[in-house]
Amino acid sequence: MPEQHDVRLKTLETQVACAADQNLLDAFLRANTWLPHGCSQGTCGSCKMQVLEGEIDHRASSEFILTPHERSEGLALACQATPRSDLLVEPVAEVADDGVVRHPLRDVLGTVSALEDIARDTRRLVIDLDEPLPFTAGQYVELLVPGTEIRRQYSMANAPADTASIELHVRRTEGGAATAGWIFARMHVGDRVEVRGPFGVFGIGRPQNEPAILVAGGTGLAPMKSIVAAALAEDLVPELWLYHGGRTEQDLYDVEFFRDLDFRHDHFHYRPVLSEQDWDGANGMVTDAVLEEFPTCKGFAGYLCGPPAMVEAGRKVFKRRRMAPRLIHQEEFTDASDLARR
Amino acid sequence: MTTTEHNQDLSWLNDVTVTDLERDPYPVYERLRRESPVAFIPALGFHVATTKETCREVAANTEVWDGVISPAGGRTFGHPNVLNANGPEHDELRGMVEPSLQPAEVNRYIDDLVRPIARRYVEAIEDRGHADLVTHFCEPVSVRSLGDLMGLQSVDSDTLREWFHKLSVSFTNAAVSPTGEWANPDGFIPGDEARADIQRVVDPLIDRWIVEPDDSALSHWLHDGMPEGETRPREMLYPTIFVFLLGAMQEPGHAMASTIAGLWTKPDQFEQVVDEPKLIPRAIIESLRWTSPIWSAVARINKVDTTVGGTFLPAGSVVMLSYGSANHDANDYDAPSDFDLTRAPVPHLAFGAGKHACAGASFASEVCRIGLEELFEAIPNLERDDDHEIDFWGWGFRGPTELHARWEV
Repeated sequence: MPEQHDVRLKTLETQVACAADQNLLDAFLRANTWLPHGCSQGTCGSCKMQVLEGEIDHRASSEFILTPHERSEGLALACQATPRSDLLVEPVAEVADDGVVRHPLRDVLGTVSALEDIARDTRRLVIDLDEPLPFTAGQYVELLVPGTEIRRQYSMANAPADTASIELHVRRTEGGAATAGWIFARMHVGDRVEVRGPFGVFGIGRPQNEPAILVAGGTGLAPMKSIVAAALAEDLVPELWLYHGGRTEQDLYDVEFFRDLDFRHDHFHYRPVLSEQDWDGANGMVTDAVLEEFPTCKGFAGYLCGPPAMVEAGRKVFKRRRMAPRLIHQEEFTDASDLARR
Repeated sequence: MTTTEHNQDLSWLNDVTVTDLERDPYPVYERLRRESPVAFIPALGFHVATTKETCREVAANTEVWDGVISPAGGRTFGHPNVLNANGPEHDELRGMVEPSLQPAEVNRYIDDLVRPIARRYVEAIEDRGHADLVTHFCEPVSVRSLGDLMGLQSVDSDTLREWFHKLSVSFTNAAVSPTGEWANPDGFIPGDEARADIQRVVDPLIDRWIVEPDDSALSHWLHDGMPEGETRPREMLYPTIFVFLLGAMQEPGHAMASTIAGLWTKPDQFEQVVDEPKLIPRAIIESLRWTSPIWSAVARINKVDTTVGGTFLPAGSVVMLSYGSANHDANDYDAPSDFDLTRAPVPHLAFGAGKHACAGASFASEVCRIGLEELFEAIPNLERDDDHEIDFWGWGFRGPTELHARWEV
């Protein structure tokens, strides 16, 4: 068993044990001590913390995300850094009690109960869990690729009320270890899978006064499906729009599911948008469809999940329509091959 | 004349005019930082300290240096004011103005004071799609915030803006003839008008506060620390009121406008700050370094002969601390004339140093922060209007004269 160190969090006067090969974020989340974080893989920088006492190992922290200057000032990425001694730390972002219920990070085993093709290069994967894994709509888990140490992140698409299994939407990446090499190749119903989670802060964590506009690209629909389910079940928002963008109809999925919700709920609106196929629905870039429908987004909250270019375009559209930047929330797909380049 | 140990020929300074400095002081000061960090500028009639080291040395050493106001400043404000008072008199004036400006106290009231003001001025422009932000946002938010804190709610923002503009004209009317006479005596007329106007408006308020004290800063100035039944004489207050009505009214607005102008030189950084309001304080700090609002308006006078930065200064020499120049000192900042949010935050001197360091540093920074938070929250699609140039002006006080923005409505 690797050596353990005590890590104290200054603001909350909390202390956790952290193994010498365990990252600080992992140690705190397992102890159910919430820390600000986003991607948990060293790309977003939102888990930066100040190391006030003790020595850490930055491990794979990228110099692009954590600059040499920041390192010299004692900053560290909690999701990467491991302890070399006992530590006193303080997150850079505020640890506010924002009324959002947080769930501890756990390792859970599960069994693949469904695996189906639902759209072009896209599969729905359902894993029945050996024990419940509570999460907040919008959060994600990591799956361990069998026989490797590779972990890949996927957002839950099921309603958070349903804790017995998780539904994930997976898009095939050419040459990807987890997708082309596993989920789209040798995975079968009945396989055992190692799941770690929940992670992430994306989503509608508590009731809000602002109507919400959700914009998803491709499998960015997964967290949105969970958010829509939670928002409707728990009455979290006064009104809700869901935009889903794809190139052609082959990229859309769960269309009937959302059309039915739209039909049954006056305050939910479903907008599928295609960029490369004429059809009886909306055409063009999914973010342009938002621009067209909303003369102003002032007083709205925005949620974006999809490829980085779509998220970037969505942010611009929301700002152009004068949505307050603090009300714009985003979850980007981070491609593992991008990480290696950083 | 400047006697230096550098053996530099500084005769080029004879050709420097106040107008040149007001338009763009940086080239002259950059050369001085290299050639003679402390030097006599004939058109001003006094010395200037131009590097961080010399500014710090003069500001911090109270054994040798007393606070003094520039001659034009003294002519504008009168005596005793908090800038040129020293010893017990300075302690009393400082003690009078400081309670409402201490950071802990500022934190208590600032949000409730400034946020509604900033919102009101944003609401007035947000549906227009374009505005000169200096005139319609930065200056009004700045004067209204301080005006309300001081107890000047009954004075409208345009009047407060007019007052600081007029006082500023006089304060920076520094040019002297070779014989030491004012080169432009008429330049003091606007300041004299403003002072008369201010007294006409503020006298009745003081009359009322004497019998009915309230929580306004000026009411506290009258009453705090005085024996029961007595108030501080108004002659004691007025010069410092004028200091506030100029510097403290004008400079948060300058700082806010310069921060926006600075961010516009780096569109990526502008975008980043709009997206992440938590970066606003850092942007303000870099802006204060980049274009220090109180560029060169604070002076010291030596009680004994001394040498600073290789320049001999006989007792009684007035040295202007050119903080705007010190904050471009290449010893501390790479490419100092670039605005750069990401530069290592080496402490700047925009708020001065020593006993006369700015009492309103926290207040001013917070006014800027809240103003920019509200502006970017309501108009996140704000962009520079390229049809207008951005002109910076000023040697004593410096900032953009206009700042034209546009956005889609």
